Amino acid sequence: MALDHRPARPPGTPDNSGGPGTAGSSRRGPAWLSATGRRRPNGLAVIAGVAALLYAGFILLPLGLSLASSLTDENPLKAESSFVGLDNYQHLFRDGRLLHSLAFTFALAAVVTLAANAVGLGLAVLLDRSSLPYRLMRTLAFLPQVLSGVIVGFIWRSVLTQNGLANALLMDAGIIREPIGWLGTPFMASLSIAIVMAWVLSGFTTVVYLAALQAVPRDLYEAATVDGAGAARRFRSITFPLLAPATTINVTICLITVLKLYDVITVVTGGGPASSTESTALYIVKVAFTQNQFGYSSAVAVLLLVVSTGVSLLVTSLLRRREVSL
Amino acid sequence: MTVLTGLTAAFRRLSAPARAVVAVIVVFGFISPIYLALVNAFKSTPEIAASPAGLPLHATLDNLRTAWERPDHLIQSGLRNSLIVTVSTVVLVVPLAAALSFYLSRRSRRFQATALAVLATGLMIPPQVVLLPTIRILGWIGLDHSFAGLVLSNVSGGYLSFAVFVYAGFLRSVPDEIVEAAILDGASDLRVWWSIVMPLVRPATATVAIFLSLWTWNDFLNPLFILGPLTGQTITTGIYLTIGQYSVDYGQLFGIMFLAGIIPVIGYLALQKQFISGLTSGSGK
Repeated sequence: MALDHRPARPPGTPDNSGGPGTAGSSRRGPAWLSATGRRRPNGLAVIAGVAALLYAGFILLPLGLSLASSLTDENPLKAESSFVGLDNYQHLFRDGRLLHSLAFTFALAAVVTLAANAVGLGLAVLLDRSSLPYRLMRTLAFLPQVLSGVIVGFIWRSVLTQNGLANALLMDAGIIREPIGWLGTPFMASLSIAIVMAWVLSGFTTVVYLAALQAVPRDLYEAATVDGAGAARRFRSITFPLLAPATTINVTICLITVLKLYDVITVVTGGGPASSTESTALYIVKVAFTQNQFGYSSAVAVLLLVVSTGVSLLVTSLLRRREVSL
Repeated sequence: MTVLTGLTAAFRRLSAPARAVVAVIVVFGFISPIYLALVNAFKSTPEIAASPAGLPLHATLDNLRTAWERPDHLIQSGLRNSLIVTVSTVVLVVPLAAALSFYLSRRSRRFQATALAVLATGLMIPPQVVLLPTIRILGWIGLDHSFAGLVLSNVSGGYLSFAVFVYAGFLRSVPDEIVEAAILDGASDLRVWWSIVMPLVRPATATVAIFLSLWTWNDFLNPLFILGPLTGQTITTGIYLTIGQYSVDYGQLFGIMFLAGIIPVIGYLALQKQFISGLTSGSGK
């Protein structure tokens, strides 16, 4: 739109007729960016080319550098680093702390994905009305997604610490006599992280399931009612199958979010007690920036990338197949 | 499954008012942690201890004032830096991603599919995997530990992929004839893109701008390590580094949380229609 007001090239001059030295030549990109060959390279191709170069420089190149670095003993405190072949990768399988972090990450991903989808579906079914109060409640239910992981972490930490709000409220109500150590033991701390993340992601799953519910054609229900189907039967045979695409989105987003989770764990437990809530993503950062083992941390990063991409693709394709077969 | 079927059946049997009451109680329970943070931001620390869940009987702005008037200007500098990083990121990603997406849509189907597959990597990669080499690359061009470097890494990574996918979805609904007609009239690709395509894909721009603003504003890992401790902090790294390790009293903590969290919440409440439609159009995510 803004371009409309600029003095453009003389009217009637076709874009592809300008010889060397015409006004447009400075905007042209290299020939390989040319759209089809019959048209000259132009400003659009240049911008697209810049975007592609940036992506190559900050996603593809870092991936290559990580791979290369994972074959060395690189350490910023040493002047030289040397090629060590697959040593780092062999070490992965003897690294108990890494194996624990992988187990924790995948257990967390499984529990959180299940819980967030169950809570989201339940809330969506409850809120599936279009009057104003229900729209307001949908607005509120999405709030956990709006706040940053750091704020969510601090809020939940103040709820869950030994003398925190949860224990104060439960003791006031006479439900417990002794404060519960929500973050005190490895099991309880892991459970607490799972609760916090299920809460965060339920905001997302609720809204997606709710939209899917409200997209179900009403006449399907009416036809089923005429045929004598009860409410339970209608849910099982109409609603639930039509929610399959929403389930695919929700499960994928939950998995990806947990596999790269960093902020909430850092604030709520810092990975403790005794590294019990240390996810692989946290471990990579610790190995790189606290222990300065750049080479080894790159090997862990490559492992996380391979494993998490594999899991996401597998789960997504399984869920997609379920969509198609319905 | 059985539980859910039962739940639906149970909800259907409730009268309208009873269902609304159940819904209010459940939703309120769900967001009770946010309620606690909100009400306690307006109570003195003794009142928080005496009644952690009650509404503030002696509402006070002292917590907010203390947070705002901190000698380290935690809130002011954090909000300013987050605003700069967020606006720069969004203003750069929108044209870059829209142009790339439109350019790809004009290429052969095969070329487009290959390019989108490469771009999909950016959506899947955990940011920790590329963090260390990203900092090294920024060092090569003299931008490590700088806001420009943080913006550059935001612009060039997964956010770009996300935006390209959103635009690609919307571009499929732009009729080819419109674009072809404009090109026959002698308009350059650049001009067709900016004057004809961009206005047609405004909903995509809204979705991209809203979600990238939220994600950039809330990002923690990249600012923490790309900026480092000495460059200045965004709002997320600022509050983490200031109160992360120390226990502050609850009044102070919730005062800081309120001031740090209020901007995205207001933005969300103001734009929630676009938020929800962006989420539910299944756009690229």
